[in-house]
Amino acid sequence: MSDNVEKYIKRKVYKKENSRIAQKFVDAGLEKIRSCINCGTCTGSCPSGRRTAYRTRSAIRKALTGDESVLQDIDIWLCTTCYYCYERCPRNIPVTDMIIKLRNIAVEEGFILDNHFTLANDIFYETGHGVPANGEGNKKWRDLRESYGLPPLPPTVHTHPEALKECQELMKSVGFRDLMDNVAEKKKQERAEQEKEEVKEK
Amino acid sequence: MTEIQKEIKVRAKDRPQIGVYVCHCGINIAGVVDVVKLKDYALSLPDVVLAREYKFMCSDNGQKMIKDDIEAGLINRVVVAACSPRMHEPTFRLTCKEAGLNQFLFEQANIREHATWVNMQDPEGAYDIAKDHIRMAVAKSRKLIPLQVQKVKVEPSCLIIGAGIAGMNSALDLADEGYKVYLVERSPTIGGHMAQLDKTFPTMDCSACILTPRMVDVARKKNIEIMSYSEVVDVSGYVGNFEVTIMKKPHYVDQEKCTACGACVESCPVTCGNEFDLGMGTRKAIYIPFPQAVPGQYTIDMDKCIKCGICARIDVCEPEAIKYDDKPEYVKVNVGTIIVATGWDLYDPTELVQYGYGRFPNVITGLQMERLLSSFGPVLGKPVRPSDGKAPHTIAFLQCVGSRNFREGGNTYCSRVCCMYATKQARQYKEKHPEAEVYIFYMDIRAFGKGYEEFYESAAENYGIKYIRGRIAEVYGGENDSIIIRAEDTLLQTPIEIEVDMFVLSCGLEARADSDKVSSLLSIQRSADGFFMEAHPKLKPVDTLTDGIFVAGVAQGPKDIPDTVAQAKGAASSAAALMAQGEVEIEPYYSVVIEHLCSGCRSCQSLCPFGAIDFDEFKKIAVVNPALCKGCGTCVSACPSGAMVQNHFANFQLDSIINVALKQPTVENGGK
Amino acid sequence: MSGEKKWRYAFFLGCVAPNRYPMIESSIRAVFDHLGAEILEMEGASCCPAPGVFRAFHIPTWLVIAARNLTIAEDLGVDVITGCNGCYGTLRDAWYELLHEPELKKMVNEHLAKVGRKFKGSIEPKHIVQALYQDMGLDYVKGFVKHKFKDLKVAVHYGCHILKPSDKRPWGGDYENPRFLDEIVEITGAKSIDYKDKFMCCGAGGAVRTAVKEVAADFSREKLVNIRDSGADIIIDCCPFCHLQLDLGQMEANNYYKDIIGEQFKVPVIYLTQLLGLSFGIDPNELGLIKNHELSGVSPFIPIDPFIEKIKEELL
Ligand SMILES: Cc1cc2nc3c(=O)[nH]c(=O)nc-3n(C[C@H](O)[C@H](O)[C@H](O)COP(=O)(O)OP(=O)(O)OC[C@H]3O[C@@H](n4cnc5c(N)ncnc54)[C@H](O)[C@@H]3O)c2cc1C
Ligand code: SF4
Ligand code: SF4
Repeated sequence: MSDNVEKYIKRKVYKKENSRIAQKFVDAGLEKIRSCINCGTCTGSCPSGRRTAYRTRSAIRKALTGDESVLQDIDIWLCTTCYYCYERCPRNIPVTDMIIKLRNIAVEEGFILDNHFTLANDIFYETGHGVPANGEGNKKWRDLRESYGLPPLPPTVHTHPEALKECQELMKSVGFRDLMDNVAEKKKQERAEQEKEEVKEK
Repeated sequence: MTEIQKEIKVRAKDRPQIGVYVCHCGINIAGVVDVVKLKDYALSLPDVVLAREYKFMCSDNGQKMIKDDIEAGLINRVVVAACSPRMHEPTFRLTCKEAGLNQFLFEQANIREHATWVNMQDPEGAYDIAKDHIRMAVAKSRKLIPLQVQKVKVEPSCLIIGAGIAGMNSALDLADEGYKVYLVERSPTIGGHMAQLDKTFPTMDCSACILTPRMVDVARKKNIEIMSYSEVVDVSGYVGNFEVTIMKKPHYVDQEKCTACGACVESCPVTCGNEFDLGMGTRKAIYIPFPQAVPGQYTIDMDKCIKCGICARIDVCEPEAIKYDDKPEYVKVNVGTIIVATGWDLYDPTELVQYGYGRFPNVITGLQMERLLSSFGPVLGKPVRPSDGKAPHTIAFLQCVGSRNFREGGNTYCSRVCCMYATKQARQYKEKHPEAEVYIFYMDIRAFGKGYEEFYESAAENYGIKYIRGRIAEVYGGENDSIIIRAEDTLLQTPIEIEVDMFVLSCGLEARADSDKVSSLLSIQRSADGFFMEAHPKLKPVDTLTDGIFVAGVAQGPKDIPDTVAQAKGAASSAAALMAQGEVEIEPYYSVVIEHLCSGCRSCQSLCPFGAIDFDEFKKIAVVNPALCKGCGTCVSACPSGAMVQNHFANFQLDSIINVALKQPTVENGGK
Repeated sequence: MSGEKKWRYAFFLGCVAPNRYPMIESSIRAVFDHLGAEILEMEGASCCPAPGVFRAFHIPTWLVIAARNLTIAEDLGVDVITGCNGCYGTLRDAWYELLHEPELKKMVNEHLAKVGRKFKGSIEPKHIVQALYQDMGLDYVKGFVKHKFKDLKVAVHYGCHILKPSDKRPWGGDYENPRFLDEIVEITGAKSIDYKDKFMCCGAGGAVRTAVKEVAADFSREKLVNIRDSGADIIIDCCPFCHLQLDLGQMEANNYYKDIIGEQFKVPVIYLTQLLGLSFGIDPNELGLIKNHELSGVSPFIPIDPFIEKIKEELL
């Protein structure tokens, strides 16, 4: 085949996407975006879009049309939730909240960055804090607290193991533990497949 | 039309013989519920002697079925189960009348809007609701009493509120047809907003050139009495016979003596912002709004006047026309009809903080741009930036400011004129400055009128105006008072930043801030958008729900000048049609006093909002004036003795409905 | 301070303030005590959980854990205050949703019941700024000012979640151009100077900092350029996470974007109550403004000495 065929022929025509995902969007209440007029106020207001490839309106539009590629794209993780789009949308669409819901679906489908997964699974679940001060690596922060006359650890879950248990119990009850386990499983499979491909290529 | 038969005498105590007619309304009703079963159900109800179903009861054939049954003496009351009485009650009443049956022995059950339309997904529920409605209508029908319509004389004169292009056109038409017109205008001059415009889309004729001759015409017409600088303060009466009180505000200048020489203006030491130029030009405390104002009357703005007395000096005002102690004057007129043509206010964009209006000097509204472009305007048609008086090189317009905005404070509707006026202004600016760069940011361009799409196309092709599809998100200030715009070019899916010298907000049209006052003054309704409501969006576009009162121009909803004028002419013609008849029928739904029950406590008299109740000092009882009574029912519920009865809606009639509604609750699913 | 306090609040610490910027925690404690407000500890509280991170992973988890934190304050019977915009966002949005959506409340309480808790909605979560501005009032707070910093030019950074979503915030819907924080800052005599895109986000939130630090740092870069252009001496903020991003992120911007920023950034970042405390005459040690340790690699990353230098005179 000629190189130019590779280079120039792009037969991609948008076809209706996976209805399972589209249904998930509906279940998550994302149909609120149906009244979107694609005015671009959200994208125009977005400080992230000014420096990244994230396009608020395009993400919203993909969700509306059931285009699941939006879930795999890192773009939706570049929204800082500054809420400008939410405040200005002329159709009163809670845009930021919609992006958050999209992320929820993405996670459910196993699309979560490693950093985020570690934060959720290894740090938040294990310590009850998003930014903890316990553990060996964090000694300097405990020392710093003491240097300002504070106890080395704050009166939070850090000093109340029973409270941490309570949090973990709640996280199990509400489905966070299962969610994380599923994600871990998906990530493992993905890695295995990747390795297989690499071996094949070799 | 068939001839009206001799009226069949039906007395209240005659046994009711009811005919029930179930309409299919094509598939609107029959497509959801079983009309044959409904008909059979109707037959099972007391006093129903026959029931029929038919495809379209309102058709000639359908009406003939009813007439035949009446004429054959089979029935003496009619119930039609069909659409809303708003649609066809008049039709079927006439049917009854033509067949010789008193038209008030007709009752309509609305099984379309109330049952089948709202319950299309639930046919069983719809069927149950339809049954309820038919049962209730039959119950009321049994209790109906024949009534006689009243006829009242119509005064051959019209009050027009608002003398913009709408009010003036209505006035001219009515005057030409020979009716007396009182044209009440709040500001010192007639003309309305059109006087502020420079050119008009899509033909680009000069607004003043087509408006001022009309203004002069209005002033010349003998039948038209212009009452400028005046406001309607009270309206009483009813269709054909409105009594109106008008307050003429004090000009502080004796209009008889004033020769309009203008010497006072030159001598007045107070300079202030000119409303007509939206604060961009100036006037004195004594002023006329603009040179071609009609009437050319001078007025002192007492909020600004410092009472220095200079204008009153004889060497300034020779005819001694200045009258600092001028008082408002109240005038009463009787009119048969009223046309409301109060127009619009411009949306105030201050609350959209992100667009910088009021924060940055070079952010202006579309109406301000109109004044800048006007050759009679503050800069004689050479637009400059408010900040430095220099001609801007780049201008951006933003469409839908305050319009199509579903957030709090916004207007949800499309204002219909802004796309075109921005295109017009952009073209005008490019005509003056071909080298300028002009952007229009839009969500959709609405160019729906005759010649509008062509006008838009030419703006892009021949004038090089750059249309960018995207609603501006925010602006911030740049160097030299420039404005930097942030938006998305939605067609490219890219955020953009553009620096412009001037930023024009294409603000939409809004209902007048005092619409509430006008609506309660006239007892007319407003729709959700705030504008005055027409009686029917398609078939009665110039009528209000109050008989004898019509609406024209933007007062009814946003529209351009061609549509405004068309509607104004429509309103004039509807008013004229009413006045030409000389008399109108009004429904006899007034209250009556059962004399022997009335204890003369007068509770009703003080509560009646229409002043329709008199007191008979001799008999010591209340007396209702049928012509003034609007049938609101306030007195009925107020009367402690149960002496007040409202025709057609008497307690025993309403009770009969409630009784059967409650007795057989067939709507198991709660009417879902 | 003695006896009866005028106000009582449950103090929600969150994560970043206690565990990375303890000087923020100690300055809030010192200032509130000084103003006559009693601070109650929320024993066993956890991460709020962060609105842009954990809420983005699983909304129900976010809601349940937030509700648990609120119940700790409900047990104390007083309103919650937090010095963090993120915690404020979580606690207030969760509180608002639970008050307005009975279905959600039911769901949350079913889970909470398993650990013997119940969300009642009996207390209100507040930002410390809200407590200062609305509960105490400017006039009251002004009464405590001892030192005025006349020459100090301040770039005020509000952060996002103290203002937005505005329908769930107590500022009457104003999010485009509010003044309340500037007003508080200005009672110290400092001048809040206007700068371009003042209300722009610091870049940390919404899980962006964890996702791609360079993106977060580019937000900060833009803000810092604007702040530098305005001639501000310091940045004042009211959120430990913004604080971290503007402080540590300043270092990161200096590193990632050294080619385009010209001179390296070095604007001291000071938390609102540190500035207030100084002007009230509180010991700078209590406000965490004096370094008395030999630790390395700890906050603040951008030295605050130029700030101390600038106002030293006024403190004497
Ligand atoms: C910037 C701009 C440019 C436009 N350009 C064009 C154009 O090029 N072509 C076009 O076709 N259309 C244009 N329009 C639309 C046009 O202005 C309207 O169609 C027109 O003004 C409608 O006239 P009106 O008589 O209904 O209302 P108005 O012009 O508002 O007149 C109403 C009159 O009623 C008076 N009034 C109000 N309330 C009372 C009261 N309570 N008592 C007594 N008097 C009262 C007012 O003082 C006023 O004189 C433009 C609109 C704008 C905003
Ligand atoms: S601002 Fe609202 S209506 Fe406009 S494109 Fe974004 S989501 Fe759609
Ligand atoms: S006319 Fe155009 S600019 Fe005006 S509201 Fe309608 S779409 Fe928007």
